[in-house]
Formats: sequence, structure tokens, C-alpha cells
Amino acid sequence: MAASGSGGSRADNGYGSQQPRRRKGPGALATAYLVIYNVVMTAGWLVIAVGLVRAYLAKGSYHSLYYSIEKPLKFFQTGALLEEYLLIAKYLPGIVPSSVVLTAFQVMSRVFLTWAVTHSVKEVQTEDSVLLFVVAWTITEIIRYSFYTFSLLNHLPYLIKWARYTLFIVLYPMGVSGELLTIYAALPFVRQSGLYSISLPNKYNFSFDYYTFLILVMISYIPIFPQLYFHMLHQRRKVLSHTEEHKKSE
Amino acid sequence: EGKSLRDDEILQHLPVGTTATLYFKDLGPQIGWTTVFLIEYTGPLFIYFLFYFRMPFVYGLDERFTSSPHPVVNLACICHSFHYIKRLIETVFVHRFSHGTMPLRNIVKNCLYYWGFAAWLAYYINHPLYTPPSYGKKQINFAVIMFLLCEAGNFSIHVALSDLRRNGSKTRKIPYPTKNPFTWLFFFVSCPNYTYEVGTWISFTIMTQCVPVGLFTLLCFIQMTIWAKDKHCTYLREFKDYPSLRMPIIPFLL
Repeated sequence: MAASGSGGSRADNGYGSQQPRRRKGPGALATAYLVIYNVVMTAGWLVIAVGLVRAYLAKGSYHSLYYSIEKPLKFFQTGALLEEYLLIAKYLPGIVPSSVVLTAFQVMSRVFLTWAVTHSVKEVQTEDSVLLFVVAWTITEIIRYSFYTFSLLNHLPYLIKWARYTLFIVLYPMGVSGELLTIYAALPFVRQSGLYSISLPNKYNFSFDYYTFLILVMISYIPIFPQLYFHMLHQRRKVLSHTEEHKKSE
Repeated sequence: EGKSLRDDEILQHLPVGTTATLYFKDLGPQIGWTTVFLIEYTGPLFIYFLFYFRMPFVYGLDERFTSSPHPVVNLACICHSFHYIKRLIETVFVHRFSHGTMPLRNIVKNCLYYWGFAAWLAYYINHPLYTPPSYGKKQINFAVIMFLLCEAGNFSIHVALSDLRRNGSKTRKIPYPTKNPFTWLFFFVSCPNYTYEVGTWISFTIMTQCVPVGLFTLLCFIQMTIWAKDKHCTYLREFKDYPSLRMPIIPFLL
């Protein structure tokens, strides 16, 4: 699910502990690696953004822009899995457990959309809904990774912080809509081809219907999306009002 | 902060001065362990029967109340039922719990897990299109023997652990092997009851050759490894002379 601030509980400094004053954070070498990682990810998503814009200008329409950014999208979205693994394995310090679960969720759902739906069901790659979530993810990730980069370097422009905790209000529903519409578009093709499905009888006594599974995934958005959205709104109020007080006290 | 006091500690004997501050923590709504176990284990027992006897709403009206031509399906039902009946008996007569209660919401989680998986695996084993194991009688007989051995082992360990608390005390003691050969696993492992339990489910997987059973076995293994490691660490912390050869759940490995 697209969210401008995935892992909402991470406050100002991204990978450090919760709040402004006493920040333990990672050591010098770890910080260097983290900065490099976040810069690379920011650059990657910028590449995707630029790719989209150039393709749009070249073609004159926003149809079938997926193909122009297919490879970097797969690469950088899947790269986020590594990040998630590092968080879970606690190689990245100071993260509140709940935010790890939330981000894990989002990363998993994004990787699922990228590989198990868009890549696997060729017929949906020309759908406009794909563009919808790709744009939402791209903007979100550029802001998120630059947020982490600046936080690690201790120079966080208010604009970036504001963007991260505000733009999600539009980008999140936009991304979710794109994702849901894409899954919905994929349904008839999955039904027809029996993609990723296995039926009885077979010697492992197992059956799986990918079509039903996709429908269940769509339904799961109903309880999950509002929770994540309101969590982000709550974080927004906390973080942005805190900064106001901080600024006043200086 | 720190650990909470035990139920049997006497206020007068605590290392405090003339005034002490007691901190209370509201644990929320609780439910007894025995109650939880009884509900958790009765569910799968009866849910399996719904599938075994092929209730109309399960496999459709055409297949209602039919029975499978494969003997292994009957055998699987007997084993599954035996397993849960054994657990129920142990809950009532054998287990001695150190905590009286657990949070109420655990029962929802636990029941969903046990009941859900029971339904899922029972569905496939008792399905009209069920395929018996590839290696036939050899595979099934091997699985049955392994099953019985592991159930006996698991029961022996539960009895041995229960005997450690025969006088009703709730303090922890190091369990040691007894004359019963099944308890000799204590030489190598801190929690042989979990080892045997995983063995039971592996044997059931082999017996039915069914992926959902295999998945359930895998999840059980993961959960029990976590519990075993926890227990093992607790033992190591509390007892300086804890046998160093022992691993948490798998001899020499894990």
C-alpha cells in the first residue's frame, strides 16, 4: 500500500530513537552505510520519476508508461525488502516494534503488487491503474528516502518533513486505488489461465485458487487501509505540532 | 520495573525497610490456562469429525455422509482424535501450570489458530479426491510407529515434568532423565516434550502426505522452537549447574 510515510512511528530522525533531544542512533560507520543506502534509493526512485516524465513527453499520452520504468521499478521496490529484513533482524537500531510490522506489511504488499500481479499478469501492464500506483509510490519513496538521508546527516529541511507527513493524505488513497483497480483488472485473466493455482486431485493433497486469493487480498484492504491511514494522520499531528513547539523554543 | 513478585512470597520476608511501595499492574481480563486448553483442544477434535463424516455443507450434498475407500483416512482420524484426547486428559490430570491465568484475548487467537488449521487439514485428508501416500503401506506403517513412539514420549515427559511439582510448589527445578527410556532425551534437550510433539506432527504429515499438514507442522516447529529457546535461557539463568550438553529442542543442533 502506498504511503508517503511508511513506518509511521519513526519520528524525525528515521533510524534513530524516538525524539529530537537524546538521540542514540547508529555509529559512524553504520551511519555512512545508511546514508549511502538512502541516497541510492532516492536516486533510484528519481530515475523512475524521470523515466516516467520522459516517456510521457515522448509518447504524448500516459498510456503504457509501465514499460519505460519496469526494470528500475522492480529493482528498487524489491530492494526495499532488504531494508525490511535489516529492520526486522535489528541491524538497524532503535525502531519501535509496531512500525516494523507496519512497514513489513507495506513492503510485502508492494512487492506483491509488483511481482505477483503486474509482472505476472501481462495483460494488466497497459492499464492506467498501474500508472496510478507507480506515480504514488514514486513520489512517496523519493520523499521518504530523502527524509532519511537528511535525518541521518542531521540537516532535515522542514519542507521534507512536512512533505513526508502531509502528502500521504493524497498519495496514500491514490496508491491504494491504483493497486485495487490493478488487482481487479487482473482477475479475469487469472481465472482464465489458472495462474498460480493448483487443484485436486494431486499427490500432495493440496489446492490453491489464486483468483479467490486475490479477492481476499482486495477485501483485506478494507480493514487495513483505514488503520494505516489514521495511524499516519495521528503521527502527522504528533510530529508536526512537536516541531512547532521546538521552533518556538529556539 | 524488573520482575514481578511470586504469588507465594511473604511480605514480611521481602528485603524492604519499614515502608514499601507496591506496584500493581492491571493484566486485563484473564482466563484460566486449564479452561483455555480445554476449549482449544476440544475444537479440533470435533471439527475433524465434521469433515471425516462428510457433513453435507462440507463437500456438497452428493458426497454427504459417504466414507473414503482408503484405510489411511480412517487411521488418520483415529490418530488425530487420539492426539487431542490425550491432550485433554493431560490438561485435566497431568499439567501443573505456574501461572493460573492468561489474557482473555489469547483464547480468540489460539482458537482461531488450532481450530482453523484443524479444519483446513481435515478438509484435504477427508476429501473425496484425496490421494493416499505414494509409498503405500510402508509409508503409512512407518508413520504410525513413529506417531505412537512420539506420543508415548511426549506423555512421558509431561508426567516427568508434573512429578517435579508433586508437592504443589510452583518453583522451577531442573528436569532429569528417569528410568523411563523416553525421558532419556533429557540428556540432550531441555524441552523434549516439544521435540516429541514435532515428531508426532512430522509422522502425521508422512502418514497423510498432505501439504497443509506439513505447513501446520512447520508452524508448530517454529513456535515450539521459540518456546524451547525461551525455556532453555530461563534454565541457564536460574541454574548455574545446568547440564551443558543440552540444546533447547533438537539434540546438538537447535
